[in-house]
Amino acid sequence: MSGGRSLWSAGWARFRRNPLAMAGAITVLVLYLVAILAPALTPYDPVSHGDLPQMRHQPPSKDHPLGTDKFGRDVLTRMVYGSRISLTVSFLAVALSVILGSIIGAVAGYTGGFVDAVLMRMVDALMSIPRLFLLLTCIALFSRSLLLVTLLLGATGWMSTARLVRAQILTLKNREFISAAEALGAGSRRIVLRHLIPNALTVIIVSATLRIGLIILVEAALSFLGLGVPPPTPSWGMMVYEGREVLLDAWWVSTFPGLAIVVTVVGYNLLGDGLRDSFDPVRFT
Amino acid sequence: MPEDLLKIDELKTVFRTEAGTARAVDGVSFTVGRGETVGLVGESGCGKSVTALSIMRLVADPPGRIESGSIVFEGRDLLGLSEKEMRKVRGNEISIVFQEPLSSLNPVFTCGEQIREAIALHQKLGRRESRAKAVDMLRLVRIPDPDKRYSSYPHQMSGGMRQRVMIAMALSCQPKLLIADEPSTALDVSVQAQIIELLVDLRVGRDMAVLLITHDLAVVAQMADRVVVMYAGSVVEESPVEELFASPAHPYTKGLIDSLPKLGQSLERLPMIPGTVPDPLHVPEGCRFSDRCQERFDKCSVEPPLFDLAAGRRARCWLCEGSEG
Amino acid sequence: MSVLIAKGLKKYYRSAGGFFLRGSRQLRAVDGVDIELEKGKTLGLVGESGCGKSTLARLLLRLEEPTDGTLEIDGTDFLALKGRELRRARRKIQMIFQDPYSSLNPRLTVGSTIAEGIRIHGLARGADVERRVSELLDQVGLPRAAYSRYPHEFSGGQRQRVGIARALAVEPDIIVADEPVSALDVSVQAQIINLLADLQRDLGLTYLFVAHDLGVVEHVSDRISVMYLGRIVESAPAKELFSDPLHPYTAGLLASIPTATPGRRIKAAISGDVPSPVDIPDGCSFHTRCPKAFGPCGSETPRLEEVSSGRCTACWLYKE
Repeated sequence: MSGGRSLWSAGWARFRRNPLAMAGAITVLVLYLVAILAPALTPYDPVSHGDLPQMRHQPPSKDHPLGTDKFGRDVLTRMVYGSRISLTVSFLAVALSVILGSIIGAVAGYTGGFVDAVLMRMVDALMSIPRLFLLLTCIALFSRSLLLVTLLLGATGWMSTARLVRAQILTLKNREFISAAEALGAGSRRIVLRHLIPNALTVIIVSATLRIGLIILVEAALSFLGLGVPPPTPSWGMMVYEGREVLLDAWWVSTFPGLAIVVTVVGYNLLGDGLRDSFDPVRFT
Repeated sequence: MPEDLLKIDELKTVFRTEAGTARAVDGVSFTVGRGETVGLVGESGCGKSVTALSIMRLVADPPGRIESGSIVFEGRDLLGLSEKEMRKVRGNEISIVFQEPLSSLNPVFTCGEQIREAIALHQKLGRRESRAKAVDMLRLVRIPDPDKRYSSYPHQMSGGMRQRVMIAMALSCQPKLLIADEPSTALDVSVQAQIIELLVDLRVGRDMAVLLITHDLAVVAQMADRVVVMYAGSVVEESPVEELFASPAHPYTKGLIDSLPKLGQSLERLPMIPGTVPDPLHVPEGCRFSDRCQERFDKCSVEPPLFDLAAGRRARCWLCEGSEG
Repeated sequence: MSVLIAKGLKKYYRSAGGFFLRGSRQLRAVDGVDIELEKGKTLGLVGESGCGKSTLARLLLRLEEPTDGTLEIDGTDFLALKGRELRRARRKIQMIFQDPYSSLNPRLTVGSTIAEGIRIHGLARGADVERRVSELLDQVGLPRAAYSRYPHEFSGGQRQRVGIARALAVEPDIIVADEPVSALDVSVQAQIINLLADLQRDLGLTYLFVAHDLGVVEHVSDRISVMYLGRIVESAPAKELFSDPLHPYTAGLLASIPTATPGRRIKAAISGDVPSPVDIPDGCSFHTRCPKAFGPCGSETPRLEEVSSGRCTACWLYKE
């Protein structure tokens, strides 16, 4: 028996034919490889100081392709290690918010009635609190740490996913195949896991991908404000911050990490748009 | 036969999709005479609606494109007109009524206002005259209390009423040709009968031809003078309505007519056409109907031409070869 | 023998009036319907959009909970069942849906779709599941290779066959078919109607066939009930309903069907539109459109009563 072509494989075929989407996917892939292979890519240490003061603010050269910062540390090395921070924080934060949002959205959409009303009003309330203000307050109250930043970014980002998943579940719930499953005697767990979630999954993945770009920007902004990952751990936002005083004399200190942020965010957005164009169930079923 | 108002010749409209090129309309020719009602029938994907959109030049490009052929309306080839000239034809000389009246009406304007605007646009009338004329149109399509209904919004009306508004709007500029694309399909049986009756009555005393596009043979039998049957992008049979139902020439037409359950007729099993309607991306070689035809023979591996039969009939079937009139 | 008896079924919805708005109106979708299904026979249920026929179909499967009424399937009180008991009892009554596109889960293969019911009820295990699915594929006229294919690879008519196989998989007694052919091409409709007839003959199934197309309903039904605004206005053996309709609504509906006979022009036999179900007229709900309305019609609701052997109607014309 020859296998049929699932919507996943048909979507993947469409994705591969889309050059922008592939460019985004490759960019993201390369970034992760860089983050994983960081120690193998550069000979320097990202944290310890170089020989001061002669190594301070050296322009790009053969030994230091992207120059050095005010502590004589290699900018390229710090950027490579910084990608670990940006990618990990954004990935974990988005994973957290997507899981939280999907569960809350699915419960609200599937249960309906009172539970739905309560959960959705909660979402409305949380969404009306300015996010940056909330982040600043929490960081001021507790000590700065990588874990705290990740948790905060995750816990403040699930509301829009919840809304999206709920809307998706609501339209799916009215499809006749859900009634058919119910009539066959399927229990709620089977209906949710086999019929609702797989059909909502593409929307969830697409929105998660697009959100990662956003979270990277928020993390960079926090670091820029000096409230992100504590130094001397390298992070792109922090590097941009550190370079701002010497922007005219040592432009390379801020510019290259800034470019890294741009490339990463653009890469994720291209990937997300490509996934949406290729897999969106509204357009292809 | 009346003088030709519309003459479509070898029309080809294609759609480019990821999966390949769909030849939705593949060499279609037929005519509509002045004041005549022609039924264009066929099943989903046969190209009947794309033919209608091609006449109005409303095929979305891309992915669709009118590749070749001509659509001569009152001596002018519509395919040669500029977009500006075409806008003067649309809604003025040729009007179209779609299946779903709710999506064809703008929800933020009253129904009367939308008719008035259509009149003002094409006839350059002042506000008061065009309003009076719009109310007249509502009365014409038998909307009760037209003065009051003028200020109703589309969502305040029922499906049947909205379809009447669409017809009023389409007729407001006295078009020479009305294209009705499944005008009664979305309506209830009792309301459908009202709309068919209305359309039949409105033709009387108006020099208006109707191109009725439908999948429903019964509606065609009720309304049309002549019928064009389409299958998989091409015309397979053309005939005056009486003859078509009395003695269908093409096996597809015959199969369609036979497979309709008829009231009062008790049969254990319905006669049926096997297989499924071909998808426009994979049209069978040779005669397009050959893979479902029960009378297929060796000649059918070559696509037959439209044979001219007696009494203005034509059929695209090798069985008709030799019986040309 | 009756396999399903429903009495006084009602389904009211609160019409969207907003959270705080008092006096939000009731939408009476089904308003006191009695229905009985004879074993091995087909009851046709006809009516126009908004008459409540689809809601009634869903009530019989408990896809919606009735506001009031009783429902007995095979001698058990179907409405009293809960949880696991209800899920087990659902095997007895299955549904075939109108839209072959939305009725199949696009992420599941045809095989898993058909096998789902078999697995839920443990009707077969291991390799037997696949064998049983292949059998069902044969039975509905699909190639066995369909097993590992996905719904989007099939045409509307073939998808409808998958839906039928899914329903048959749990070996039901009763099948509720809600407009099973109205979304299909004319040439394919006859195939599905014939398939349903063959299955009924071979498996002794009982059908409730819901449709708006009177020609199709007459062809498949032994008995027909006509619904108007949530109530049954007439019920009769199929042939008699068509040859001699009692209720003016039935008569008007029959006269409104366009026939494939050129030259016999139809007359719109019923004027006006179907009233909205939130605004059902008092008395006989048809009196606003009825050509024969008289004295009591506008104020008192006629009950559905037997007027001669096997023929019931709810109309003041036939009351003493």
